[in-house]
Amino acid sequence: MGLLFATSPLLIVSLGALLLMLAEAFSKKSNEGDLALGTAVTLLAGAATAIAVWMVGPESIEGAAALKPYLLTDRFAMFFDFVICLGGAMTALLAGGYLPEHGLERGEFYPLIMFSSVGAMILAGSGDLLSLFIGLETMSIGVYAMTGFRRGSRRSVEAAMKYFLLGSFAAAVLLYGGALLYGATGHTDLVGIGQRIASAATAKGGGGVSLPLVIVGLMLVLVGLVFKVSAVPFHMWTPDAYEGAPTPATTFMAVAVKSAAFAMMLRVLLIAFNDPGSASWGAGWPPVIAGLAVLTMTVANVIAGRQESVKRMLAYSSIAHAGYVLIGVAATIRQNEHEAEGAILFYLLAYTVSTAGAFGALILCGRQGAEATSYEDLAGIGRRHPGAALPFALFLLSLAGVPPAAGFFGKFYIFRAAIYGGGGFYWLAVIGLLNSVVGAYYYLRVIVYMYMREPAPGAPIAVPMRSGYVAFALLACALLVLGLGLFPGSMLDIALHAPVHG
Amino acid sequence: MNPVFGSLFGLWPAALAGFVGVLIPRRDSRLERALLGLMGALVVLFTMAVWPGTAAVAETPPDEWPNLLNMLIGLPLFGSVAILFMPRQSPKLLTGFTLGLLLLNLAVSLLLLGVPMTRGWHFLYVREWIPSLGIRYHVAVDGISLWLVLLTTFVTPIAVYASFGSIKTRLKELCFSYLFLQAGMLGAFVSLDLFLFYVFWELMLVPMYLMIGIWGGVEKIKAAFKFFIYTMTGSVLMLAAMLYLVVQYTKLTGTPSFDLLALQRVMLPPGAQMLCFWAFAIAFFIKVPMFPVHTWLPDAHVQAPTGGSVILAAIMLKLGTYGYLRFAMGLFPGASGLNAANLAGLAVMGGILYGALVAYKQDDLKRVIAYSSVAHLGYVMLGLFAVTPSSISGAILQMVNHGISTGALFLLVGVIYDRRHTRAIAEFGGLAKVMPIYTAVWVIITLASIGVPGTNGFIGEFMVITGTMISPRLRNFAGADATLAAAGVILGAVYMLSLTQKTFFGPLSNPKNKRLSDLTVRETLSLAPLVLFVFVIGFFPSIFLDRTRDAVQGFFDRYQAVWAEGRNEEPASRLIRPSSDRAMERGAPPVPGESPTASAQGH
Repeated sequence: MGLLFATSPLLIVSLGALLLMLAEAFSKKSNEGDLALGTAVTLLAGAATAIAVWMVGPESIEGAAALKPYLLTDRFAMFFDFVICLGGAMTALLAGGYLPEHGLERGEFYPLIMFSSVGAMILAGSGDLLSLFIGLETMSIGVYAMTGFRRGSRRSVEAAMKYFLLGSFAAAVLLYGGALLYGATGHTDLVGIGQRIASAATAKGGGGVSLPLVIVGLMLVLVGLVFKVSAVPFHMWTPDAYEGAPTPATTFMAVAVKSAAFAMMLRVLLIAFNDPGSASWGAGWPPVIAGLAVLTMTVANVIAGRQESVKRMLAYSSIAHAGYVLIGVAATIRQNEHEAEGAILFYLLAYTVSTAGAFGALILCGRQGAEATSYEDLAGIGRRHPGAALPFALFLLSLAGVPPAAGFFGKFYIFRAAIYGGGGFYWLAVIGLLNSVVGAYYYLRVIVYMYMREPAPGAPIAVPMRSGYVAFALLACALLVLGLGLFPGSMLDIALHAPVHG
Repeated sequence: MNPVFGSLFGLWPAALAGFVGVLIPRRDSRLERALLGLMGALVVLFTMAVWPGTAAVAETPPDEWPNLLNMLIGLPLFGSVAILFMPRQSPKLLTGFTLGLLLLNLAVSLLLLGVPMTRGWHFLYVREWIPSLGIRYHVAVDGISLWLVLLTTFVTPIAVYASFGSIKTRLKELCFSYLFLQAGMLGAFVSLDLFLFYVFWELMLVPMYLMIGIWGGVEKIKAAFKFFIYTMTGSVLMLAAMLYLVVQYTKLTGTPSFDLLALQRVMLPPGAQMLCFWAFAIAFFIKVPMFPVHTWLPDAHVQAPTGGSVILAAIMLKLGTYGYLRFAMGLFPGASGLNAANLAGLAVMGGILYGALVAYKQDDLKRVIAYSSVAHLGYVMLGLFAVTPSSISGAILQMVNHGISTGALFLLVGVIYDRRHTRAIAEFGGLAKVMPIYTAVWVIITLASIGVPGTNGFIGEFMVITGTMISPRLRNFAGADATLAAAGVILGAVYMLSLTQKTFFGPLSNPKNKRLSDLTVRETLSLAPLVLFVFVIGFFPSIFLDRTRDAVQGFFDRYQAVWAEGRNEEPASRLIRPSSDRAMERGAPPVPGESPTASAQGH
C-alpha cells in the first residue's frame, strides 16, 4: 500500500495515458480539445500526488523503499515529479490551443506528452543505470515523435530526424559509459558505483578497480548527460529541433526534458562520483562542468543575440540557462547544507514556469498560417493584443533576471551558492552575472518589438489567436512567476529539503 | 484676541504670497492665477512650518507612524497595478487617477517633516522577507535620504503633469510607467537592506526603459538599450560584491544578513575590500554618471520624452550619488578613502571641467543640459569624495538643487520642443521678444543652475568647494581640486549664458519663430513650484541643512572611526568593534546574529 502511494504520481500519469489513448480511439473528431483538458488534469493530479507524498514524507512511508535502487521515491524525486508534471500540464494546455489552430488535431500528441512525462519521472527517480536508461529512452522516444508531429512540414521532419539521430547517439554513448563503469566496479546502481570508486581511491593499487576505465566511463556518461541538457558543445541539435518542432513540443523539450536531464545529472554526479578524487575543484568533473558552464553561457548568449526568429532565440536562451544551472552543479561540491542543490531545483522550477509562459505567449501571438516566429511578427503586439504582450514581457523579464520575477531569484540563488564556494567560483559567478547582462539584451529586444515598433507598412500583420486553454496556462504561469518572485523563501526552503542523497 | 484668529493672523506671509500670486501675474486664465496664488501660499506655509526652531517646540518627539514609508511606496505601486485594469478609452480617468495619487503621495511624504531629524533612523519598518537568507524588508529614512524622498514625491507629479500636455498616445502605459517608477525610486531611497535596494534599483530600470523606448525620439531604441545595458552591467557587478560581503558576514557570525547596518560591521581585508568597493562604485558611477561611463546619459536624455528626462535628471541620477554615499562609502570607508584623491581628480577633470567644455560645444539644447548634468554631478561627487561634514551636506543639498534646476531646464526645453519640434540651437534666437514669460523663467533657472547667490545653486556649490578645500582625504590635492572646481563655476556660466544669449536674445531672424505662443497654463503651473523652490532654498538653506546636519555628522563620525580602525590592516575579514560603530544609535534595529532569537531562525 505504501509503495502504491509513494509511486502514485507515476502510476496516475501512466494510467491516465492508457485511458486517454482508449478515449481518443473512441472519441469524435470534434472532441480533441477535451483530450487536452484530460491530459492537463491528469498531469496536475500527478503533481498534486507528488505534493501529497512530500507532505506525508517519503521516508516515513512503509515499503516505499521496495524498488530501491531502481526507482527512488525520495523528496528529490517528488520535487522533480512536481516540476515535470507541471511542465507537462502546461504543454498539454498549450497544445490544446495550438494544435486545433494549426490544423494538427490528432489525439496521439497527448498520450505522447504523458508517456514522455512518465519517462522523465522515472529518470528523476532512478538510482540505477539500468532504470535510468529506460527512463531516458521512454522520455526521448516520445519527444522525438512530438518533434516530428507536423508531418507536412520539412522543417519539423528535419528537426525530428536530427534530434533522433543525435539523441540516440548520445544515449548510446551514455550506455557505453555505463557499461564501462559496470566493468570497472561491478555495480550498476549509483550508490554501489560510488562506494567502489571511493574505496578504490583509498585502497592500494585501486583495490581491484581499474581507474582509467572509471575515468573513461565518467567521460562518456558526462557526454550523454551534457547532450541531454544541451550544453555547448553538445547543443547543435537544440536550435533546429526547437525551431522545427510544433511550439508545445518545444515547450516540453525546454521544460520537462531539461529538468529531468538535470535531475539525472545531479543523481549520477553526486551519488556515483562524490569522492574527493572525482569531485573537487582541482580534479574530476567539477572543472569540466565549470568550463562547460562558461562556454555554454557565453556562446549561447552571443548567438542568441544574433537570431532573427524569436523561437530560435528562445532555444538559444534555453541553452544559456543550462549554462547557469551548470554553475550550480559545479558549486555542489563546496556545499554542506545542499545550498547549491536547492538553488538548482529552485532555478529549474522558475525556469519551467517562465519558459512555458514565454512559449505560450508566443503561441498566442500567431494564428493559422501565420505563426509568430520572427521579431517582425511581434511588432506592435503590445498595442493590438495587450493580453498576450503583457505576460510575454513578464516572462521575458523573468528569464532576463529582473527582480522581483521568479527568474531573478533563480539566478540569485545559483550565484549565491557559487560565491559561497569561494576561490574560482567567484569568477564563475561574475562571468555568469555578466552573461545575464548579455541575455537581457535579446530578451529586451522582444519587448522593443512588442511595445516600441509598429509593423512595417505592407507587412503581414500577425493576428493573435484566442484560446481559453492557452490563456489559462499563461495565467497560471504568470501567477507562479510573480508568486515565486515575491515569496521565494518558502519555495527555497522546500527545495533545500530535497537532497539528492535521499 | 481669539486664539484661532490669532494663529490665522500669524499666517499673514502666506496670505500675502497668495494675494501676490493671484494679483500680479498678467495672465488671462483665472484658474491659473488662483492656482499660482495657492502655490505661493502653500510654499510660504511650508517654509514657515519647517522653519528651524518651530518644530523643536514640542517636548516629546511626536510618534512616528511606522507604515508611512510603506504607504509612500505602496500607493504608487498598487496604483500602477490598478492602472492596468482601467479602460484605455478614458484618458481623463487615467491621468486624473495618476496625478491625484501622486499628489496624495506628496502630501503623505510631507508627514516625514513632522519629526525632528535626529541622528539615527526614523520611520523604521522591518519585516522578514526571506528569513533563511537573512533578507528583510527594512526601510527607514534619515537626514540623508529625507530630502531625496521629498524631491522624488515633489518632482514626479510635476513631470507627470507636464508630460500629459505633450504626450497623447498610449496614456495607459505612460501612467503605469510613472507610478511604477516612483515606487521604485522611493523604495531605493529608503531601503536599508542591500537586497531590497537591489530589487528596487532594478525595478526602476524597466519603466524608464519603456518610457524612453515608447515615447522617445528618432533614435529611441538605441538610447533605451544603452540605458538599460549600461545600468545593468554595473548592477550585476554590485550584486556579486554584495553576495561576497554577505558570505563573509555569514562566515563571521553564523547568520546570513543583507542588512546594511549589519554588513557595515564587516571589515574585509584590503584587497577584497578594494575589489568590492569598485564593484559598488562602478555601479553607482554609471548611474551618476561620472566620466568615462557617462556616454549613455546624453543619448538617453536627448531621446527621452520631456517627463522622462525630468525624472531621469532630477531623481534617477541622484540614486547614483545617494547610493555611493550610503553604500559604497558606508560599507567600505577604507577603500573609498584610499581612492578619494584619485576619484576627486576624476570628478573635477572629467566631470566639472570636461563636462562643462563639452556642454559648451553642443548644438542641441537637450545635449547642453545633459552635459551640464555631468558637470553639476561632478560637484556632488567631489563633495562626497572629500568626506568632510560640510562637503557632504553641500553634496546632499546640491543633489536637491540639481533636481530642481535641471528638472526645470528640461521642462523648459520641452516647452520649446513642443512648439517647434526641434532642439537645434541654431534654429532659435531672439525668443525673448515673442515669449517674454518663458524667457524670464529660463533666465531665473539658468542663474540658479550657474549658482548665483540668492538662488539654490550657490549654497550647495559653495559648501562643496569650501569642504573640499579642507579635506584631509584628498591629501595634497585638496587645494587644487577646490580651485579647479571653483573655476568650473565660471565655465558653467560660460556655457549656460552663451546658450541663453544665442537662444533668447539678439535678432529674431528665423521666420518660424515669429508666431510662437508664450507659456500655456499647464506649463506655467508645472514650472511655478520649481521656480519658487529655487528661491526658497536660495534664501533659507538652513531649513534643509538643519535636517541633514545630524545625520551627516553621524555618518562622518562613523566613517572616521572605521577609517581609523582600518589602518591596522589584517589579512582576514573581521567584525568592527561596536565602539567604532556609532551609526547604531537611536532607532537602529537589533542586528541579526547578535540576539539568540535571531540566530535560532537561521535555518
